[in-house]
Amino acid sequence: MTNGAAALALPLAKVGEVGESFFHHRTSETLPCQAQSSHLFCFDWAKENIDSFATPTQQHLELVLFSIFAGFVVAMALALLAHRRRWLQAPLLAITGVIYTVPSIAFFFLLLPVTGLGRDTVIIALSAYTLQIIYRNAIAGLANVPAAAKDAARGMGLTETQILWRVELPLATPEIVAGLRVATVSTVALATFAVFVNAGGLGVKIYGGGNLTFPTSIIIAGGIAMLMAGAFHMALVGIERYATPWRRAAAA
Amino acid sequence: MPEPKVTEQSSSPAASSVRYENATKRYGGSAEPAVEGLSLEVPAGEVCVLVGPSGCGKTTAMRLVNRTVELTEGDVKIGEESVRERDPARLRREIGYVIQQVGLFPHRTIAENIATVPSLLGWKKERIRARADELLELIGLEAELAGRYPAQLSGGQQQRVGVARALAADPQVMLMDEPFGAIDPINRERLQNEFLRLQAEIRKTILFVTHDIDEAIKMGDRIAVMRKGGKVAQYATPAELLMAPADEFVEDFVGADRALKRLALMRVADIDLWEAPLAHVGQATAEVRAKLEGAEVPYPLLVDSERRPLGWLSQRDLAAETVPAQPDSPLGPLLDRDDVMRDALADLLQGEAQYAAVTDHGGRIAGVLSVEIISEFLGSPQAKREEHGAGERPR
Repeated sequence: MTNGAAALALPLAKVGEVGESFFHHRTSETLPCQAQSSHLFCFDWAKENIDSFATPTQQHLELVLFSIFAGFVVAMALALLAHRRRWLQAPLLAITGVIYTVPSIAFFFLLLPVTGLGRDTVIIALSAYTLQIIYRNAIAGLANVPAAAKDAARGMGLTETQILWRVELPLATPEIVAGLRVATVSTVALATFAVFVNAGGLGVKIYGGGNLTFPTSIIIAGGIAMLMAGAFHMALVGIERYATPWRRAAAA
Repeated sequence: MPEPKVTEQSSSPAASSVRYENATKRYGGSAEPAVEGLSLEVPAGEVCVLVGPSGCGKTTAMRLVNRTVELTEGDVKIGEESVRERDPARLRREIGYVIQQVGLFPHRTIAENIATVPSLLGWKKERIRARADELLELIGLEAELAGRYPAQLSGGQQQRVGVARALAADPQVMLMDEPFGAIDPINRERLQNEFLRLQAEIRKTILFVTHDIDEAIKMGDRIAVMRKGGKVAQYATPAELLMAPADEFVEDFVGADRALKRLALMRVADIDLWEAPLAHVGQATAEVRAKLEGAEVPYPLLVDSERRPLGWLSQRDLAAETVPAQPDSPLGPLLDRDDVMRDALADLLQGEAQYAAVTDHGGRIAGVLSVEIISEFLGSPQAKREEHGAGERPR
């Protein structure tokens, strides 16, 4: 697959020209509105082809869910580790921060020799991106737990583990969920790049057509991605509200 | 005269003495020990106040009891049992813990907060609920607050819940670290009084930390004045401390207003009150005027048929034929026989009043207190006698 990596650099640079050689051969599709390229949105085409968005949408959703799940588990493990061993906090923040700065496409290609084309590469890269945000928020949330509550908990005979599960984590929930929310929304957007390592997703309908001058498919796919991000956002806001009834009570 | 305190603990058998035996705490990297060779005993059911300037090691000394600070040397015994022998978490569940910032769990309801230790001890749900209800009543909070969250309560209410939470599993010993330190002065006094009433009922062994000598005198059966390095400068009853400070440090710490502070040890009932001429509504003013001759208080006090005070009669009131139902001067400060004398004086000064009516438990007039009585008392040979005679603070 190493030569594949080299070949992949091309469609990024001149994606319009190399449509034929791209992974998804979709040139057979007729583009009814092509005659007038000024058309921003072609309803006829949309009506005819809307079914073809189902599979990419499902793939996209799966990529996001797997990536977020993996990222959350790893980031929380790191956060809890750093919570117990304070000296780890700064180095872990630096490491996850460096990962966060790697350009996403470059990350995919760096992983290609190891994990090859396909889903694994995408999930590893996308979950790695979530680490920084989730880790940082979890650390902040745990640090914001009132010292008096912890002192009282210890003084009343809660063990360290009980303090973590019954006091610290519940009180850090708002920050943790906020981190998860930001991470999820950005992952929905980043997952459109999955198409470049042959892992499907809505990117297929954005970059995959080989014709970036035909905007209808891009608008639909982009719209679905935005709706998906919005739905995740709302769901997580709902979960946070449900999980933290005391915050509403305090605000009332 | 102050009465000796009632000492039997029959109402609550669940109190143990606390004994420091040469207890020492040294922190790594610090040459000076935080607490050095501390030896003192707090008898079961008494309040021992650890008081001293900041950094004197009083909080550290208190925390040695529940092992939130570990001993370096020596021992602390609860009853006959050394805390060193105990698992820290289990030990702490048997010791009530109240701190200045309260430390209620913001994400738990009031009832859940109170249930913390009973839950850890594995009590049954019904028993926990019954106990929470009982404690809410004990601390004077409405039962409907049980389902609220701490942020919905006032600071004073939160501190009461903090006390209730500490009492939940009926601990043998209570540790209280500046429990009223973050409360405004008016509510602090109310909470202190409430707590003294509560303690008279529950009779726990209490270690109470404060930097405020006035609070120490008010709350303590015994006071340990500590100085830097965690050494006890004097361990004595409040009265002894005020009358015979062991050294210059204690004298300075207790303050120059020792005489005034003694008032904190007295109740209004401990002093000879004056009698005011009493008047009833509709009574002929001539009769009342006759009573004024040679009376200790130069104003007649209007009382109802139950001898409950209503107000003071002025010259204008007395100029009428009969005593009016609405007296010219309002009653002003109204004191109870059981009020602490220092608070009574404060009420007098605050009300800018010369005289205050004192009532008994039925609200009936028991006498009149004046600033003059208090200042006479402080300067009188009787007060000096009292200084030497009083061993225990009145309850």
